[in-house]
Amino acid sequence: MKKNEIMIIIGLLAVSLIGIAAFYLINASDEPLSVRVTRQGETVAVFPLSQDHTEIFTDAAGSNTLEISGGTAKIVEADCPDYICVKTYPISSPGETIVCLPHKLVVEVITGES
Amino acid sequence: MNSKAYRLVILSLYVAMALILSYIESLIPLPLPIPGAKIGLPNIITLVSLLTLGWPLTLLVVIARIFLSGFLFGGGFSIVYSLGGGLLSLLVMSLLIHFLKDKISIVLISVFGAISHNLGQVIVAAIVVQTTSLLLYFLFLMLLAIPTGLFIGITARELMRLLNKTTIFAKLNLPQKK
Repeated sequence: MKKNEIMIIIGLLAVSLIGIAAFYLINASDEPLSVRVTRQGETVAVFPLSQDHTEIFTDAAGSNTLEISGGTAKIVEADCPDYICVKTYPISSPGETIVCLPHKLVVEVITGES
Repeated sequence: MNSKAYRLVILSLYVAMALILSYIESLIPLPLPIPGAKIGLPNIITLVSLLTLGWPLTLLVVIARIFLSGFLFGGGFSIVYSLGGGLLSLLVMSLLIHFLKDKISIVLISVFGAISHNLGQVIVAAIVVQTTSLLLYFLFLMLLAIPTGLFIGITARELMRLLNKTTIFAKLNLPQKK
């Protein structure tokens, strides 16, 4: 591999790292945070991130159990085939998402009160 | 041997090997908080196929592998996402090979292939769930795609080096530049 190719790879690394850092910086805020649940782009529910809460979201495709506790949100149970949403780490910063593709469900942290 | 039949044999071997690699990959979950992240082992075959058979036949290899592995190990649902990633990745790698063949190494092509694979999957996912908030997820996937792309690229380069010492490709009647 040539030197300029190594530079390109370092450049790509820098782009993704700076992108991630910029994402968190731009989205950082002192406002209270909320958890928004959307299904196919339509908002289903919004909960404050500061209050512990558990809710099961069910539709024809299946169900996902959302648990908010200690300022983080995560999907604790789902009946989808891949369990990707359950394996996703708990989210707590604005802009972070948990996606359940089979159920077309998106859980994301947003700024602002519910 | 008839060179068409020979090409078919090589093509079938590629599909079979890519399928085995996707199976092996499904057995190794990455211990990472990024869901859906994979090493991309079948991309070794895609790269070798692109360099030996060209893109039209590689398109067949990729589509066959995605459908077969989707039905066998992934549950039919994963096919859509794999197609989005696999096809975009193939397009990007084919263009790079077509336009920059002598200026770019297999390793770098592999890295771009890995990143575009993730981009394709995230685009399909964003369309399916109708959200635009997958940018952060893509950035994490891109960060991960760089080391995995390097690994796959280096493996493919070494594999090509070994295969070129054999007479396997001699009968394909294709230009062997790299």
